[in-house]
Amino acid sequence: MTKPAAGSLAGMLTMTKPSAGSLASRSTWVSTTSVSSSGKRIQREMVELNLDPPPGCCAGPKGDNLYNWVATIIGPPGTPYQGGIYFLDITFPCDYPFQPPKVVFKTRIYHCNVDSAGNVSLEILKDSWSPALTITKVLQALQSIFTKPDPYNPLVPGIAHLYLQDEAKHAELAAEWTLRFAK
Amino acid sequence: MDDNQISLGVEQEEIPDSFICCVCLDLLYKPIVLSCGHVSCFWCVHRSMSSLGQSQCPLCRHEYNHFPTICQMLHFLLLKKYPVAYKRRELQILEEEKRSGCFSPLLDAHGCSSQASQDLHIQNNGTAGPKQTHGGDYDGIGNVADEEKNFPLNMDSGSGDRISVADAICAACKQLSFHPVVLNCGHVYCESCIVKPDEQMLRCVVCQSSHPSGFPKICLVLGHFLEEQFPKEYALRRAAVQLKQADSKHENPNACATKADTQRKKLSPWSDQVHIRFGCDSCGMFPIIGDRYNCLDCFEKKGFDLCSHCYNTNSKLPGRFNQQHTPEHRFKLVRKDSIRNQLKLVIGDIDDISLALIIASISSEGTISPDAPEDAENRSAAHAPSTSSGDEQDESLTSD
Repeated sequence: MTKPAAGSLAGMLTMTKPSAGSLASRSTWVSTTSVSSSGKRIQREMVELNLDPPPGCCAGPKGDNLYNWVATIIGPPGTPYQGGIYFLDITFPCDYPFQPPKVVFKTRIYHCNVDSAGNVSLEILKDSWSPALTITKVLQALQSIFTKPDPYNPLVPGIAHLYLQDEAKHAELAAEWTLRFAK
Repeated sequence: MDDNQISLGVEQEEIPDSFICCVCLDLLYKPIVLSCGHVSCFWCVHRSMSSLGQSQCPLCRHEYNHFPTICQMLHFLLLKKYPVAYKRRELQILEEEKRSGCFSPLLDAHGCSSQASQDLHIQNNGTAGPKQTHGGDYDGIGNVADEEKNFPLNMDSGSGDRISVADAICAACKQLSFHPVVLNCGHVYCESCIVKPDEQMLRCVVCQSSHPSGFPKICLVLGHFLEEQFPKEYALRRAAVQLKQADSKHENPNACATKADTQRKKLSPWSDQVHIRFGCDSCGMFPIIGDRYNCLDCFEKKGFDLCSHCYNTNSKLPGRFNQQHTPEHRFKLVRKDSIRNQLKLVIGDIDDISLALIIASISSEGTISPDAPEDAENRSAAHAPSTSSGDEQDESLTSD
């Protein structure tokens, strides 16, 4: 048995159209766009997320495209990010969930694991990704780095250094950025 | 049967969370039980396996190397318990399979009853009408069409069936499986019925295929389901097994559970033994390590490959993807492709300069196999049309 390379698998999946008996085609809106197995999975996640959203988070498709989502995370109380509203762009690859989604911060944040372009260093979005993880779990993981930054795998070493050396100063700066960019 | 009927049924059948596949978030279809005891769909397991080396369970990251066979017992239990939802999944997956041209194995109720003991004379209601076995029809597409024609018939018999203890018996003790474990071949045993031979791989008594990944863990999804369905019988079995274990305490199966695959070392995908993207259709080893034997007569897109062990033991098992392989087919020994071909398979077509950079970076890390320098020398020659056409020929041979 052979397995197609990533590229051809992606092509195969995007070609797929809604199947006659699928749940998707029977839902209230009749979709004309193609619904592949990745699309079905994203739709299921969407339904689940709307039914039971984790506290302080919300997410959903940006427009018609199921693969481009926007999410918001509210800065958890008790952290310097408290009260801030952070917008994120989530892009699903076409072979999702076998590849992790891409998450980018659209709101500037003073955080050692988020660089100025908004890229996040989070293990579960890279090598530790598992197809059993969902967007809900990703959002929860992102919330956890608000409360507990990981200075040992930093994207911005300067901030990580300050966090380790002088946490009070770090908190002060982070709160200032929250006020400036996230409110 | 119309759409209305299906949607009505879906509402009626409440599917518990335990039967929702963690990957596609839908009802499990053609379930595979990994040796850690977690369950996922056939295609979900296949797609989540790493083609470069060790694969990990999506739920617990337990490492494994062999693509297990579908657990027929669980398949037929689900089919009987949730006939409407399961048929909906079947149609949906069939649609996807048709589009991709790769099919999952057909399962018939005979396969299931072969696990059940012959002397119990189990009545099998679900097998009305002639069904095909794997080797029967020649054309893969023809099989599917036939399967569709049988659809209403299966549907009727499926919904009429009640689950009985006979559907869930251990392959060894022929009683209701207590603390069920599923081997790589998909056969189900009680945990207490498995005795691991010393210094040897666990072997299935039904199909004689070996179980390569240490002692399997209990499949809790299946166990809880059986306990719920047959509370009385399950309690009886529990009492019986506990009594037996009290008699021979030293024979606790968990005690002899050894570390999974101790002989298997961490392999670099670039080593000269790993056949990236090729799996053995008999034991399920994926990717194949060591020699690979490719069938010359199987025309399916998936191809048919065996690892050296299965080739030497003359495995008669059908292909994992419904290939119409017969024992008369001829084989060709395939040595591992050059690094260049391997990279092309993994990354797709890339230009030679970036390829050179990748090769250089790999070799500087020191993880490359001895054939790397030679490959680096060939790099400039790769521009020549003759070489590249040779490569393509190689590729078409392996993928056709």
